Amino acid sequence: MASPAAIRPSLGAALHSCRTASITHGLLPSSRAGISTTASLLKRHKYPGARDNKDHSKHRGESTIRRTGTRWRLSVSDEPLPKPIKPEDLAPPETDPNHGLWEFFANRDTVANVPEEDAKHGRGWMVEELRGKSWEDLHKLWWVCVKERNRIATAKYERNKSKLGFGDAEADKRDDEVKVTMRGIKHVLTERQYAWEDAVKLAENDPEIDLSGNGPAFSPSQFLEEEYEEPVAAETEEGAVKEAIMDGEQSLKSSEPAGLATPPPPEPKPQSEAPRL
Amino acid sequence: MQPTRILQGMRYRKLRLTTKDVNKGYYKGTGTGSMGRHTKYGTYVIEWEKVRTYVVPPLEGFKLTPFVANTIQRVYGQYETKAGPRDPELYLQNWKVQNGMD
Repeated sequence: MASPAAIRPSLGAALHSCRTASITHGLLPSSRAGISTTASLLKRHKYPGARDNKDHSKHRGESTIRRTGTRWRLSVSDEPLPKPIKPEDLAPPETDPNHGLWEFFANRDTVANVPEEDAKHGRGWMVEELRGKSWEDLHKLWWVCVKERNRIATAKYERNKSKLGFGDAEADKRDDEVKVTMRGIKHVLTERQYAWEDAVKLAENDPEIDLSGNGPAFSPSQFLEEEYEEPVAAETEEGAVKEAIMDGEQSLKSSEPAGLATPPPPEPKPQSEAPRL
Repeated sequence: MQPTRILQGMRYRKLRLTTKDVNKGYYKGTGTGSMGRHTKYGTYVIEWEKVRTYVVPPLEGFKLTPFVANTIQRVYGQYETKAGPRDPELYLQNWKVQNGMD
């Protein structure tokens, strides 16, 4: 028989341990039946400060790739998962067709007008054309201008953001014309306010006008029915010319009496209704 | 010590003025204006007369646009006095003619 040292040393060591084990088994037959695979008996490290045998990885075995799920039950474990739907099959989101934010765009289909469309505009209102307008008309026209400028600014922003290309030059020209109109409105209202302030002072010394608020404010000294029509025609003479020209826009005749209805206030109450700036 | 690259490259005065360019007490703001006042306790009180209110008239049926057609000739007003449309006498006269019944 070859000596154990002639074999590989590690194998020799294994054989040696086998022999000693058979000897000890023979000496202690009671421990032979105690081989068990339960956890408590498999604990080997009994010395103080030894590692405990706990599994410290709470998520051991969980895998997203293998879709194992969690190791514990969840409240939603029994819920069936929703299946994804193609965007084409989804119903279009409901929007308010009359939402106020739509007014920031020229139309519903595009975020910005093409430059050709933007370039289609006339000139701004001249001051002389605005002088015949009433306070209400000027107030509304102001807000129409504000909305137009908002639209232009939105389109400009979108053009820049989405890199849509040219169009700023046309938009700027359009914006300039709107600004001309807005400047004219301010001009007219300022002028009207100053004229009214001075007219109130004049009216204090006018024998025909009573500013006390008792009785009629205006008692004309002369009643000439025939001539009554003439000054109206004379006053609106310039207006009539404008009216003929600007027939397509809005008739001056309807707005002119209203324009002069608001400002002149001999009584203190209408004074507050006078053109505010 | 060297000035920063941006100050070397361009004239300092071409830069936008910031609060660091001037002495203390300079309030630059954002051009929005205040809506109230600070109290001595450090809180802020909104003063509603300072809060902006926009009165937008109903625009339904309003046909005017910011533009006038280019084909329409400019109109020049004819006024007798030097004050022109700002003349208070003209204003009073218009009122008497058209609205004196009030």
